[in-house]
Amino acid sequence: MPMAIVNLVFGGIVGAVLWPFRTLSPWAGMVAVSFLTALLMLEVYKLTSNQAAIRRAKDLIKAHLYEMRLYKDDMRITLGAQRAILKANLSYLAANLKPLAVMIVPLVLILAQLSVWYDRAPLRPGQETLVKARLEGTADPVGAGLDLEVPPGLEITAPAVRIPDLHEVVWRIKAVAPGSGRLTVRSGGTALGKAVVVGDGPLRRVSAIASRGSFSKRVLYPGEGPLPAGSPVRSIEILYPAGRLAAFGLNVHWLIAYLVLSIVFGFAFKGVFKVEI
Amino acid sequence: MSGRGNGALTRRQFLKAGVAATAAAGLGGAVRLGPKAYGYGPAPKKMIILGIDGLDPVLTQRWIDEGRMPAFRRLLEAGGDFRPLGTSLPPQSPVAWSNFITGMDPGGHGIFDFIHRDPGSYVPIFSATETTGASRTVRLGKTIIPLSGGRVRNLRRGQAFWQLLEKADVPATVFKMPSNYPPVESRQRTLSGMNTPDIKGSYGIFNYYTNAAASVIQEAGGGGRVHDVFVVGNRVEAELPGPTNTFRTDAPEAAVPFQVFIDPSGPAAKIVIQGREFVLKEREWSGWVHVHFDLIPTQSVHGLCLFYLKEVRPKFKLYISPVNIDPARPALPISTPASYARELERRFGPFFTKGLPADTSALENGVLDEEEFLHLDAQVYEESLAMLEYELGRFDEGLLFYYFSDADQRQHMFWRLTDPLHPAYDEKLAARYGGVIARTYEEMDRALDMALRRADRDTVVLVLSDHGFNSFRRGLNLNTWLLREGYHRLKRPWKQEESSLFDNTDWSKTRAYGVGLNSLYINERGREAEGLVAPGADKDNLVREIAAKLEALVDPRTGEHPVLKAFVSREAYRGRHLKNAPDIVLGFNQGYRISWQSPLGGFPREILEDNTQKWSGDHMAAPQVLPGVAFANRKFTAGAPALYDLTASVLGVFGVQPPPEMIGRDVLAKS
Repeated sequence: MPMAIVNLVFGGIVGAVLWPFRTLSPWAGMVAVSFLTALLMLEVYKLTSNQAAIRRAKDLIKAHLYEMRLYKDDMRITLGAQRAILKANLSYLAANLKPLAVMIVPLVLILAQLSVWYDRAPLRPGQETLVKARLEGTADPVGAGLDLEVPPGLEITAPAVRIPDLHEVVWRIKAVAPGSGRLTVRSGGTALGKAVVVGDGPLRRVSAIASRGSFSKRVLYPGEGPLPAGSPVRSIEILYPAGRLAAFGLNVHWLIAYLVLSIVFGFAFKGVFKVEI
Repeated sequence: MSGRGNGALTRRQFLKAGVAATAAAGLGGAVRLGPKAYGYGPAPKKMIILGIDGLDPVLTQRWIDEGRMPAFRRLLEAGGDFRPLGTSLPPQSPVAWSNFITGMDPGGHGIFDFIHRDPGSYVPIFSATETTGASRTVRLGKTIIPLSGGRVRNLRRGQAFWQLLEKADVPATVFKMPSNYPPVESRQRTLSGMNTPDIKGSYGIFNYYTNAAASVIQEAGGGGRVHDVFVVGNRVEAELPGPTNTFRTDAPEAAVPFQVFIDPSGPAAKIVIQGREFVLKEREWSGWVHVHFDLIPTQSVHGLCLFYLKEVRPKFKLYISPVNIDPARPALPISTPASYARELERRFGPFFTKGLPADTSALENGVLDEEEFLHLDAQVYEESLAMLEYELGRFDEGLLFYYFSDADQRQHMFWRLTDPLHPAYDEKLAARYGGVIARTYEEMDRALDMALRRADRDTVVLVLSDHGFNSFRRGLNLNTWLLREGYHRLKRPWKQEESSLFDNTDWSKTRAYGVGLNSLYINERGREAEGLVAPGADKDNLVREIAAKLEALVDPRTGEHPVLKAFVSREAYRGRHLKNAPDIVLGFNQGYRISWQSPLGGFPREILEDNTQKWSGDHMAAPQVLPGVAFANRKFTAGAPALYDLTASVLGVFGVQPPPEMIGRDVLAKS
């Protein structure tokens, strides 16, 4: 339950940031999120780091580098300076541990939310894909009697393939018309829902997996609520096509784009925030 | 390429544009800096050519008359013209299209047959291309690092007409022209056609996975491979073979593993290959599946194939098409500029790149039945039509050549169902598929309809085929005949029928041998490795003697002459490459062709045999028996034009002078 609230909050924030950009190039939303992330991280860094210790460590490193250049003919002084640089580096890293530990939590949550927007693309009308229901290791997919129901705008184009080796039942579906809805996997008396999206548009929220799984899965797949307990189904996945973030004819992975942009914005604005990194 | 988004200009074009700009500036006018100059012709012209392989004049005329080909009729009624078109000697597609490409006959362009032979070893070799590996390499353990690139060479000689047009600044798009693999150097837009190999470098090898007893006939340069598989716990583990890994000293075959998970009771299965998963129902085709074969960590070869789940039980049967070169990341050159193939892939997604996409081998071997073959072939046709529409849509200057293989391939495979005298005629199948060829001609009519709709009054529209078609009922075992007549000797005569690739031939006593589909060679001293016959009078006399005997040969079954005319190549060809020609070129009679085993040096028992195979229509006859077609929205000035005349005519449309080595003449009226 607490994780659901956290996902709701972070999902709401990321969604609110991206909302104005949903009809523009996916890069616009990515730039906005990266920019705001950079500002947030600068502020967090400023508040949680020992700025004086960081500044001192960097000054020491610079000073000893200078020492090495001045006394480059003196082996003893050069080695001593290198030792001091190494020590200052360790101090610098130690001073970064606390802010990194604090930042990692919101960063992971933001990344998980961004993956819902950028990792997968909605099905296009006419496109076919698979729906996979993964079962408990003890469950028999043949005896489980799973059925799939799809909302309007989708159709099932092949009978279920039940695979005991993989504890999996898989269906092929075809997108017919744009829209969003929920498909239902029926297992005995239990109905398990999973969101599904069909359509174009440059930026859509797409949840690939609904899972009943562990805390880590709740963190990593925040796109929709957990599957209820009481059925043998552990997760339902739709194999959406990969999202595209194209630049100069190349497909850039959204994670790389996000990290590079955040770092660039962070360094660009560290002076404004008077942060020593 | 001229005026086409490719920013590169030749020095000549740059100077021309500069001079034009200066002149225009002096006159106070604006100038277009792009290279839009034309040739020496009086006015800008446009030309659309549909190259339809195997379109037969008799069938075409019949179906025009019956109203089944309305676009052809419309073309004729609007002042157009139709002539039977003189084909090549022999009328094989690579030879015929080379005639058209170069405006020469085989003596000029050097392509005499699908199959040539190496006179040093007598081994049959493909006539179209030569592939050589890297000349300099370094070995690191079992890995070979090439220090220079390998090379694929188009063996056709002479200048292609689009190269000549390029020199005259006439832009051209040449789509899937046969005998243009690898595409000759040009800045025109060209995509290679017939002869373009699959990922294994062959003319197309399908893979068939089954736990039922099966075998396939191995063909020269293509065919298929049967993989015996086991269904264990509703699961099949198998491998898709890829290219030979020449980066390894032991040159293993690269392969991609895949799994098939069959539903325990339902007629469907999930297939997993390289992380991609898809479900197929029984008797269902997949879309294009991308595969990549990793050779060394930095080198992969990318391909495309189609899966067909023929049956899941009681027997498991899975067909995988030949792996086509991926046009988005071609491992071999398939277009000029290289970006053209990628451009088409971006527009249409994956597409067939193998020279002849129809899998006739799979039908021949019963791996695909008629319905399944036609389903796959319909995909080829629809793809061709969509790409034609695209090219027509952006065609506004110069020349567009567009090729269709459908009529040729389907006539090869379905002729038996239109000919009750054919040994493979089947009444039930004929009732169902006897109309396939007619429907294919109607499909070709749709293509012409699209072209005519795009053509304005300045556009010359030309439809041509490389040859006609006839039934292939009986096959001549040429090497067996040579053996019986004493021109060929075997080392172990009692092993005659086991002989292959002349491995049983006593060359010291052999005077003649047959290689390829129409070719007969004299074992000439100084030319062949163990030549016996002296060049000059001895050889000439022998050639005439054999030619006369071949023409006199009578099929005891039918009373007909299987060989209508045995052409002496020295008299039939002109050009600089005559020395590579076979000595005699067989022009078969209607209903006859070379047998299946003779072209590669086999010696079956009988001289003549029935053709019981599904490959039942063919075009190895004497040229006069099998003309192609020439249709145009202009009048022809010659009663019997030939393929090489149309080359000169194409150049004539744009006012380009044919080079002296071209033997054709312009046969299109100027208005």
